[in-house]
Amino acid sequence: MTRRLDGYRVWRVAGVETRRIDLGVALALLGVAAVLIVASLTVGTTPVALSDLLPGQGMDDAQRYAALTLRLPRAMTGFLAGAAIAASGAMLQSLTRNPIADPGLLGLAQGSLLAILLALILLTNLPQGWVPLIGCAGGLGVALFLARVTAQSRTGDALALLLLGLAVETTLSAITSIVILYAPTDLSFNVSVWLAGSLFQAGWGSLGAMLPWLALSLPLLFAAGPMLRLLELGEEHAHALGLSLRAARLTVLLTTVLLTSAAVTVTGPLVFLGVMAPHIAGALLPSSGRARLLLSGLVGGIFVVGADCLSRSLGTEIGLPIGLCLTLLGVPLFIVTLRLRMLRRAM
Amino acid sequence: MQRHLLLPLFLSVQLAAPFAHAEGRALTDDTGRSVVVPDSPERIVVTHDPLLGVPILDIGGRIVGSYGRTDDGGSLAAVDFIDTVLGEDAVPLRPKGVGPSGQMDFEKLRALDPDLIIGSEYNAGIVEQLAQIAPTYLQNTGTGRVRGFEVEQSLAGVLGLEDALAARFSAYQEALAGTRDALPGSPEGKSYLVVIAHDDLRLVGETSGVIQALEDLGYARAEVEGLGEGNGLGSNFAVPLSPELFMRLNPDVLVLMNSYTGSERDEASTRAKLDRIAPGWARFLRPEKEARTIYIDSAKVSTPSIASAEHALAAVRNWAAD
Repeated sequence: MTRRLDGYRVWRVAGVETRRIDLGVALALLGVAAVLIVASLTVGTTPVALSDLLPGQGMDDAQRYAALTLRLPRAMTGFLAGAAIAASGAMLQSLTRNPIADPGLLGLAQGSLLAILLALILLTNLPQGWVPLIGCAGGLGVALFLARVTAQSRTGDALALLLLGLAVETTLSAITSIVILYAPTDLSFNVSVWLAGSLFQAGWGSLGAMLPWLALSLPLLFAAGPMLRLLELGEEHAHALGLSLRAARLTVLLTTVLLTSAAVTVTGPLVFLGVMAPHIAGALLPSSGRARLLLSGLVGGIFVVGADCLSRSLGTEIGLPIGLCLTLLGVPLFIVTLRLRMLRRAM
Repeated sequence: MQRHLLLPLFLSVQLAAPFAHAEGRALTDDTGRSVVVPDSPERIVVTHDPLLGVPILDIGGRIVGSYGRTDDGGSLAAVDFIDTVLGEDAVPLRPKGVGPSGQMDFEKLRALDPDLIIGSEYNAGIVEQLAQIAPTYLQNTGTGRVRGFEVEQSLAGVLGLEDALAARFSAYQEALAGTRDALPGSPEGKSYLVVIAHDDLRLVGETSGVIQALEDLGYARAEVEGLGEGNGLGSNFAVPLSPELFMRLNPDVLVLMNSYTGSERDEASTRAKLDRIAPGWARFLRPEKEARTIYIDSAKVSTPSIASAEHALAAVRNWAAD
C-alpha cells in the first residue's frame, strides 16, 4: 500500500521520503524560474529578442555581450542569492517559531554587512575573493554569540534568541550607519547602493565566488531539514523526541550564516525577502522540513530575478534598487497571500 | 603642513610621464594595475563627474560618457558640475549616461565604444568588467593623501595633456598673483578652514580647488581639536564636524559653503542652513563676528580642478574688495 503523508503520496528515493506534491510543485517552480531567466536575457538597454536566443540565429557582438556576459550570470546570481536568503528566512522562522524571523531580524545579515564594510574601508585593495569570507566571518561571529548566550537552558530559548537577535541587529545597524557617515563619500555612496540591494556588478566572477559557499551549505541544509520539522512542533516536543536543541540551533545558525553571507556579498541584504518568500511558498503548498526550504528557496529566487527585470526595464536612467522592486513586486502578493490565509481560516 | 603645492605637484606630472609603447603608453594606475593607455584617447568614459570628469574637461579632454547622466547628457543630480565649474557653454557635447550613480550599466558603456575608462579607487570592485570593454585606469581621488587639484595634474599625465595643463597652470598663476595683490595683508602664516553644510556640518579635507587656492595663497590649515591625521581628517572631501566644535572654530579665514546637493548655495541660503544646524552660530563664531568669513558656492569650488581653484580665488578677491 502506498504510504501517505498529510493525505499526499510519499516517494522514497535513496532513503529520503518526499511527498509527490512537493516534488511536483518544486518542478513547476523550477520551470517558472527557467522561463523567467531566459526572459530576463531580453531585458536591458541592448535590444535582444527571444528569437535572437535561438540556436543558429547569430547574435551580434553587442547582443552576445549583453545576453551572455552580463544578463545570464546576473539572472543566475540573483536566483541563487534570492534562494539563499529565502531558505535562510524559512530556517529561522522554523527555529524561532516566529513568522517574521529572517537573517536581517537576527542580526546575521548585519554582521556580514558590517564586517564587509569595515574591510572595504580599512583594506582599500581588498581582493574580491576575500569579501564572502569576511562576510561569513561577520555573520558567524553573530551566530556564535547568539548560540552561546542562548545555550544556557535546554528549552524555551526561541523567544530569547529572537529578542537577543533583535538587539544585536539594532546595535550593528547603528554601528553600520556611523561607519557609513564617516566613510569616504564615494565608498559610503556605493555602500548605500549595495544596502538598497543591487545586482549591477554581478557577473560570472561573482557567481563563481558565491557557489563554493552555497555548495558548502548544501549538506548542512540537507541535515537541518528534519531538525526543522521537529523544531516546528516546539522546542519541548522536539527535545522530547530526541533532538539536541543546542546542536540543532548551531546547525541552523551556521547554515543561515553561510547562505546569507554568500548572497549578501553580491546583492546586499534584500530586506523582507526572507520573511516574504517562505509565506508565499507556504500559501502555494503548506510544507515543512526540507520541502519547505526547497519551495521557499525557489520562490525567493524567482522573486529576485523578477525584481531585477523590473529594475532594468523601469530604471534605465535613474536606477531603481532591486530591493525596492522586490518590495513593489512582492508586497502586494504577500498581502493577497495573507488575506487568502485569513479567509481560509474564517471558513 | 606644506603650503605651496604648485611646484612639487607640477614636477610630479613630469616625472610621472610614461615611457612610449607601440600601441599606447604602459602605465601603472593608482591601485597598482598595469594599463596600456592610448596615446591620444578620444572617447573617454569617467565614473565620477566632479572628481574625474571636470578635471579632464578642464584641460581639453574629450569625455563621451559618465555616471549620473541621462542618455542625452543631462545631469541626474541637482547640480551639473560641468555647468557650475566650467560654464554652461564650455562643453557643447555633454557626456552620455552610463547608468545611475553607483550602478554602472555595462551595456550602455559598451555602446559608447570608449577607448579609455577612467575610474576611481572605489571602482576596484568592477574593474575587471570595465577592462573587458576598454583599458581602465583607476585614479586615486581620496584614499591616503590627495591634495588640491592633484587629480587633474595626474590625469594630464595619463592622457598626454601636459601642454594643456601647463597653459591652464599659467593662467592660474596669474589669477593667484592678482588675488595676492588684492588682499589687504599677506596671508603668510595665517590660518584657514573650510566648512560645508550638508544635513550636518563637515570640515572640508585636502581634495578640491578651494583648498588648493587657499594654500597657494599662503594660508595654512588651522588645527582643529580632535581632528587631524589619523583622526578623521584626510583627503576625503569632508569629515563630520559637531555644531559645538563648529562654534569654537577660530581660523584667520573661515570659508562657509552650503551643500552642492541643493540649488540654493549663496550666502543667504548658507546662513539659513547654519541657523538650522547650529542655532545662534553667528553670535558665537568669532570669524563671523569679525568679518573673517568668506561665503563660496560649493558647486564651483569642490572639484579637484584648476577651474575650481580659480573660482575660489575669485571669491577671495570679492571678499577682499568688500
